[in-house]
Amino acid sequence: MSHPSAVSPVAPTPARPVSAWVLGQLASIVGPEHVLHDAAALRTYASDALATFAVEPGVVVLPASTREVVEVVRTARAADLPLVPRGSGTGLSGGALPVPGCILLGFSRMNRILEVDLDNGFMRVEPGVINLEVSKQLAPAGYYYAPDPSSQSVCTIGGNLAENSGGAHCLKYGFTANHVLAARLVTEDGAVVDLGSAVPDAPGFDLLGVLVGSEGLLGVVTEVTLRILRKPEATRTFFATFPSTTEAGTCVSEIIASGIVPAAIEMMDRLAIVAAKAATGLDWPEVGAALLMDVDGPVAEAEHTSRSAVELARRTGALEVRVPRDEDERLLMWKGRKSAFAAVGRISPNYIVQDGVIPRTAIADVLGEIARLSAQEGLRVANVFHAGDGNLHPLVLFDAKAPGEEQRAEALAGEILRICLRHGGSITGEHGVGADKAPYMAEMFGEPDLDTMSRVRCAFSPEQRFNPGKVFPTPRLCGDRPGVYRPHPAELAGLAERV
Amino acid sequence: MALLGQPASGDDAILGVRPARVLRPSTLDEAEEVVRQSAGQGLRLAFVGGGTELELGEPPAALDAVLSTRGLARVVEYAPLDQIVIAEAGLTLGALQATLRERGQMLALDPPWADRATLGGIVATNASGPRRARYGSVRDLIIGVTLVRADGTRARGGGKVVKNVAGFDLPKLMVGSLGSLGLIASVTFRLHPLPEAASTVLFSRAAPDLLRRVVQAMRREQLEPSAVAALALGADFELGVRFEGFEAGVRSQRDRLLGLSGALEARAEPLDDAAAGAFWARHASVREAPATFRAKLATLPTEVPRAASEAWPALREALGAPRAAFYPTLGLGFVAGDSGATDALAGAVTRARAALGPQGGRLVVHAAPPEVRARVPVWGAEPPARALFARVKAALDPQQRLSPGRVAGGV
Repeated sequence: MSHPSAVSPVAPTPARPVSAWVLGQLASIVGPEHVLHDAAALRTYASDALATFAVEPGVVVLPASTREVVEVVRTARAADLPLVPRGSGTGLSGGALPVPGCILLGFSRMNRILEVDLDNGFMRVEPGVINLEVSKQLAPAGYYYAPDPSSQSVCTIGGNLAENSGGAHCLKYGFTANHVLAARLVTEDGAVVDLGSAVPDAPGFDLLGVLVGSEGLLGVVTEVTLRILRKPEATRTFFATFPSTTEAGTCVSEIIASGIVPAAIEMMDRLAIVAAKAATGLDWPEVGAALLMDVDGPVAEAEHTSRSAVELARRTGALEVRVPRDEDERLLMWKGRKSAFAAVGRISPNYIVQDGVIPRTAIADVLGEIARLSAQEGLRVANVFHAGDGNLHPLVLFDAKAPGEEQRAEALAGEILRICLRHGGSITGEHGVGADKAPYMAEMFGEPDLDTMSRVRCAFSPEQRFNPGKVFPTPRLCGDRPGVYRPHPAELAGLAERV
Repeated sequence: MALLGQPASGDDAILGVRPARVLRPSTLDEAEEVVRQSAGQGLRLAFVGGGTELELGEPPAALDAVLSTRGLARVVEYAPLDQIVIAEAGLTLGALQATLRERGQMLALDPPWADRATLGGIVATNASGPRRARYGSVRDLIIGVTLVRADGTRARGGGKVVKNVAGFDLPKLMVGSLGSLGLIASVTFRLHPLPEAASTVLFSRAAPDLLRRVVQAMRREQLEPSAVAALALGADFELGVRFEGFEAGVRSQRDRLLGLSGALEARAEPLDDAAAGAFWARHASVREAPATFRAKLATLPTEVPRAASEAWPALREALGAPRAAFYPTLGLGFVAGDSGATDALAGAVTRARAALGPQGGRLVVHAAPPEVRARVPVWGAEPPARALFARVKAALDPQQRLSPGRVAGGV
């Protein structure tokens, strides 16, 4: 659960300095100007967008090539230090949280576009390339990269791969996992391995499928081949208001049941609408719920589905349906939606962004349960979410200055995840498990499930050098390792206890 | 009964490797128990569904018993409004589609032999058909899996919601794993609405280069076909392009493609339902009719003309009753026929690989007589991630009891 607005990000666990030998090695690999270990730099990298976790890394290294990454990995191994890869640090689950004394790998220098092949629908990039840059590069030719997380103007492709990032349009187009064709991976032993290929159906295990969304635990990705798509000919958007989330939820179900696959269908409740208005000045009415929907495709198809969807909205109780007059107005509507998280800062000093998933048909029930919890706790909850795929983003509003309120907000946000699980859903649809939700993994998965995932991790990374303390609820060793007890880096970070 | 199984017959052999027994669990609990007991006895296992793709891969290096999934054929949960289904691995795709059709839905996979191919087998072999052009392949549609590990541990990955990033993606790990990482016991798929309308346009005589030009023209025009298949007619092809969706969109796209034929200097005609049915039946027979040799050609989409004019003729000359289907938007081709002289066929495979290789293309042998297999590696070049494959295999099947050696790289 993230607190992008936390009043006072926690004081970071101070850096445990790395040895002079390590600094010397790193400097010789990437050049001394790309090895950061002054106090200010270490503080900068202590947190990602989840500011309630903060641990200063031992050193920050900015490699410029696969070869340099290999050398850094070898150095980490020689010094027995953990390695934490990080993109832009926009993650909301503490997925890029350092561990004390770690080498933190930054990718700001690995931001080249290496190859664009429009005819074959792929593009090869370095992991530090910004998500939106990819689509910007392709736009003149009429192509784009589909996954569009709300942070797309800042977040990197490498971070997207690690988190299997989604976005509003994944209902029709899928997630990062569906749009990564190949990746170059540096493994713990310093080997460089190519997984997948631009040519379909690479023989062997689909390790690329496991790598995407593995949250940096399996190795360091130094090159990514992305699937790129021809832009749809037409996009039709509408904004519809409803008396409550119940009617809006029915509308979503009816649209889906009619056979329409919307490109995106987003829901906001009253509080989220109020916040978005306050932030953007949009003239949205303050109603119980609103839907923002895109359909796209060839003109005739988009026209037809848009007309049908509007009709269904009216039939299911829409108060008003607005169709943007032009592209500018359309973008403004989307701006209202995409700014909804930050906008909540206008109506509450602090808030927690939750990310959970439920079957679409449970939307009305789950929102009801959340409303009851909210009333019970006396804490407001704003809901803005990807309704088409049941990916909720409840925002739990609180005032950190009020004694005990932050803890109650945390508890409420956690309870929402349990509601999601009771309805057969997931503890995260796109923000990842990271350090934050690792404890909840044991509520979603059983021990045999986690053990199976852990075995896969051990196959890639027997020493568990990469991004320790994330995903798994308790530290696990790979195989039997007799000998002197060594505390796990996650234990040292205070993130986990040995059970 | 399931635990003991029955004595195997010659029909139960996998690529000539004959097991002693066949195990037929009829519930997931029984399957788990059978695998656990097998582990206790150190039995080497292979998992078999409909048996449609048993020739894919190398023969298992050792085999004591075959576990048939055919008794595991229930729909566990079907939630039409959530557009997901959970089904046991032994259910055939055809039976599943019949259930889904009643609610106007489908699993958007159309691999060959739908009436025999099981869901588990389709996942394990990463089987696909032309619909992949629009909906993606198995990895894009599978959202959850229950597997039974070599040691009998039942584990779950993914979930039953489409959007879910909790934990490693075990469902994708199972895709193409040929049963060598565990028994795929049940699978969860996302579903799609059955299209309201469909229409196929036929280019009745297409030279290899036209395949590429049609694809490029459609992309330029922002048309979105749901399937594109080119069936070999000697050196040329008949090219079918199918549009699916709502009536208005389908009609418009069909007419626009027909309008492009002039600029493409090609003859295109709209097919009525009967003619379209006949075209797609011809396609099915290319993929499904009995053959002693089958191969999948994979290449970049722009290289399809080269595959069609160099790799395919090499194979054609070495096969009896040769046939081929290319999916030019995807860069895939399927060749089948009756193997004649071993030397000629092995040489043809080598020549086809040489034609595909420089641009990163591949040929995987899906079926061939043992003499041919002895001459050409079925998977082709060693996979670059072979060492990592072996480590993943060892992590999940440390005693190498599940179809060892079957996967690319001899893993």
